[in-house]
Amino acid sequence: MSLQNILTNWSQYRKGHEQGGFHDYEHMWGMAVDLNKCIGCNACSVACYAENNLGIVGKDRFEKGQGMHWMRIERYWDEPNLAPGVSEEFPSRGASFLPMMCQQCNAATCEPVCPVAATYHTPDGLNAQVYNRCIGSRYCSNNCPYRLRYFNFYSYYDWSWPEPLNMQLNPDLSVRDKGVMEKCTFCVQRIRVAKDTARREDRKVADGDVYPACVQTCPTDALVFGDMLDPESSVTKLWKAHQVELGKTKQHKDNEELRGYRIFEGLNTDPCVMYLERVREVEV
Amino acid sequence: MSGNDINRRNFLKVMGWGGAGVALSGCDMPTTVTLEEGKETVVSYIMPEEYVIPGQGVYFASTCQQCSAGCGVHGRVREGRVLKLEGNTESPINTGKLCQMGQSGVQAHYNPDRIQKPMLRKGGALVEVTWEEAAAALADKTGKDSSLNGGRAAWLTGTVSGHQSVLLQAHLEALGSSRHYTHEVINNAVATQVNQDMFGEVQPTYHVTKAKVVLSFGADLVGTSMSPVHFSREHTKFRSAPRGVLIQVEPKMTLTGGNADLWIAAKPGSEGVLAMGIANELLAKHGLSGDALPGGLRDSIASYNTDKVVEITGVAKTKIVEVAKVLAERSPSLVLTGASTEAHEHGYQSVAAAMMLNVILGNIGKTITSSGEFPFPQLTAKRGDMKGLLAFAEHADKGEIDVAFFYGVNPVYTAPKFLNLEQKLDKIPFKVVLTQFYDETANRADLVLPLASALEDWGTHVPGYLPEDKIISMQQPLMEKLYKETHGLGDVLLSLLKMRKPEEYEGFADYYAFLREAFAAIPSDHKGGVGDEKFWMQALQFGVIPVNVAERSIKPTPIEADLPALKEDISYPFYLVPSAHLGLWDGRHANLPWLQEAPDQISKVVWGSWVEMHPKTAARLGVENGEFVRVESMQGSIEAPLYTHRGIHPNAVAVPLGQGHEEYGRYAKGRGVNPLKILNPVTDEKTGEPALYGTRVQVAKAPFDEKQKMVRFGGSETQVGRKLVASITADVFNRTEGA
Repeated sequence: MSLQNILTNWSQYRKGHEQGGFHDYEHMWGMAVDLNKCIGCNACSVACYAENNLGIVGKDRFEKGQGMHWMRIERYWDEPNLAPGVSEEFPSRGASFLPMMCQQCNAATCEPVCPVAATYHTPDGLNAQVYNRCIGSRYCSNNCPYRLRYFNFYSYYDWSWPEPLNMQLNPDLSVRDKGVMEKCTFCVQRIRVAKDTARREDRKVADGDVYPACVQTCPTDALVFGDMLDPESSVTKLWKAHQVELGKTKQHKDNEELRGYRIFEGLNTDPCVMYLERVREVEV
Repeated sequence: MSGNDINRRNFLKVMGWGGAGVALSGCDMPTTVTLEEGKETVVSYIMPEEYVIPGQGVYFASTCQQCSAGCGVHGRVREGRVLKLEGNTESPINTGKLCQMGQSGVQAHYNPDRIQKPMLRKGGALVEVTWEEAAAALADKTGKDSSLNGGRAAWLTGTVSGHQSVLLQAHLEALGSSRHYTHEVINNAVATQVNQDMFGEVQPTYHVTKAKVVLSFGADLVGTSMSPVHFSREHTKFRSAPRGVLIQVEPKMTLTGGNADLWIAAKPGSEGVLAMGIANELLAKHGLSGDALPGGLRDSIASYNTDKVVEITGVAKTKIVEVAKVLAERSPSLVLTGASTEAHEHGYQSVAAAMMLNVILGNIGKTITSSGEFPFPQLTAKRGDMKGLLAFAEHADKGEIDVAFFYGVNPVYTAPKFLNLEQKLDKIPFKVVLTQFYDETANRADLVLPLASALEDWGTHVPGYLPEDKIISMQQPLMEKLYKETHGLGDVLLSLLKMRKPEEYEGFADYYAFLREAFAAIPSDHKGGVGDEKFWMQALQFGVIPVNVAERSIKPTPIEADLPALKEDISYPFYLVPSAHLGLWDGRHANLPWLQEAPDQISKVVWGSWVEMHPKTAARLGVENGEFVRVESMQGSIEAPLYTHRGIHPNAVAVPLGQGHEEYGRYAKGRGVNPLKILNPVTDEKTGEPALYGTRVQVAKAPFDEKQKMVRFGGSETQVGRKLVASITADVFNRTEGA
């Protein structure tokens, strides 16, 4: 996009996703995260390590921010200021936990900056990373506002999977080596199996045919996953119930009290992950 | 099985079904669909090699062994390797879900630091030997022709249940010994004693989902308390509209505390007084009836007027009033306790005071019901505690133990320094350690027997906490053993039994054969009308065996709590909180790299130890985040980096359990500190259980140690004004989603 082009079409700048396009997609995988249910236990994250061959980087490299947690739980201490008079001495309303995985943005900021098209959008609405193409420029990671891309600064293989730990590696996907960017895929290998099975059985992929590892293990059902193009899927219903829509730069809600929101909505990245607000009783 | 001379009753006992009174119902008939048809992926392990479908994962049901909650798992097996564990949807414990410790079960199985061969102490050093040589040593020391006085043999184990427990008891019986000591650091020993005295059973069923308010005195429900995944499932229903209120009282924020609607930091040890104060409010201001309470207890409650309680607990008056109000207005509720209330010198009294609230609030029969009469008492969990270790150490010290077997415990790591355990162990001439890993206890063994992993072994388990639906959970191998010279616990026990009672146990080729026979031995009216083979296949396919229990009701007998005044200690002004978290647990998971790299849920520290302190306290002591502090009790000191946050009482200093291993493999060894080491010898006066939260410490700045520095996940402690985690009130939530 040249500067001239940007200036001429300023009103449409980073609003391209409003023009639609994804409606022609085969699937549009999406998620909903209920922060009223999430307890911050971290089961999702370890399930992801197990499923997706995530490397262990060790203490020193973790300190430098190299941890490979495609799915991570942020924990914030600030009070949500729900009620006046909440004690400043203690966090009386507990902590605020936030599971963060790739938001699979429809207007992903990571995609257009890749010099080799290693990151691109699939016809499933996924923000995919082609490891073979990646040359490690790290532009994508620099451009991700959610900090959800993870770079292999080193070969973590020896430390992560000394024999026989390597026998645990999931053969459905590769082990990434030094110089490659990696990220959450919504467990694309599982999606592929579900699609293949459905095709063999001459039917559509049904809601519940496929769960990413994090969703499958979540002890509190805080994570809901499914096809946003399937009007009957639980994730579609949840988005609808909370009046959050894909392909909008500004959400319209009849009822302002509905809990749905997307993180950094204002950046117009059009994420496929909706969050539902955390809830606290303030009568006590 | 040989021996027609064994009568039926004895036979049932040998097989673990002794005391059977009530029907054990089978499952529905499974629809048998072959794998080739590609529909059914849960199959029993009895299938021959053809179950291996190249490129396709096949799922087998088993039981998670990462803690004693007994969650059902489905292991994904591909080309003969287990790749991943998922929750078993059939299990009422975890209904298809797993926690991060469960997910890490594969790392315990494939751990690079597993012991692969038996080791025998020769000339002072442990050397690898063949299993035959190990067996010969065992027969020589413990067989029926040995000089062993069987009554001087002992087992020290963690929580055990199911048929492994049956064989273990049989082994003790064959020896003529009653010395089974059970030991767990994370336990509910004090609470179960109060339950026994107050409700007539150690572990009633708690219905979190039926409660409108849960008042938890330190019970880490979704974390380390009883059954993490089960109560996380309950939490979700509890928090759906109309939404329940969770009030958590504890000295240091647990994972459950992090999810509380109201988190209260009471002065450590004053939880019982707070409970009495709330009781007083309920009786005096809200007109609740105290008729069910003995007169002395009513008088005692009346003496805890709110102002006095404020003074003792340090909790604001408004909060006490509000908590009482919400409990009175929203019924039924549920009051529970956890380690931070139980593990004090007067822990029993505090728990009694807290549980008494359930009587006043009319929760008995509603949110607390009897768990019924489990028909197979031989199989139920033998719960471990700290006092089991104390008794073991004392008897070892007196020279009463000649042979000791260790399983599921690492006492050299978990024993406080004051116990002087190493010295006492030296008085046991022959120590046999059954373990997967070379831990601190194995290091002092005379014989180390390498165990098969939980994913390679057979077993049956009765979870320590059973929800409404009662089960026995099946454990079956998910793959071939990685190392030929490792054996399952059941097989080792059978070998030991054959050395004592060959006539009775020679007929069982292995533990699998024993289990098959045990399953065939369930009286047919317990099999739900299916034949032996089908019953067995169903157990393997579903992973759980539903059990019908005789119903019981609870008639509570409230206990008069006698709460002593809290003692001040000028030289050791702080309470040490040896906190546990879902992850490294009591240290047994410190060798799993996924859990080392998984941030602690509250502090977000990875790969090491830390000390938690309130920022006010830290400021007073002149120490800052990341700097090192020395935490010193009368028994010794530990040094670790400081993490300050407000989720801790200013009088408390928390050091997490789990690190500080001197052995235990490459991921655990030489990392962090073990707070158990500096515990003072204080015990709960009533039960004798060591008071883990009763140690007083002083804190001072210590020199920085690059190797043990604190590494944390994440940068920002706050949202810096961005809408990351937005919150609304329960009022709005119930209005919009309460339909």
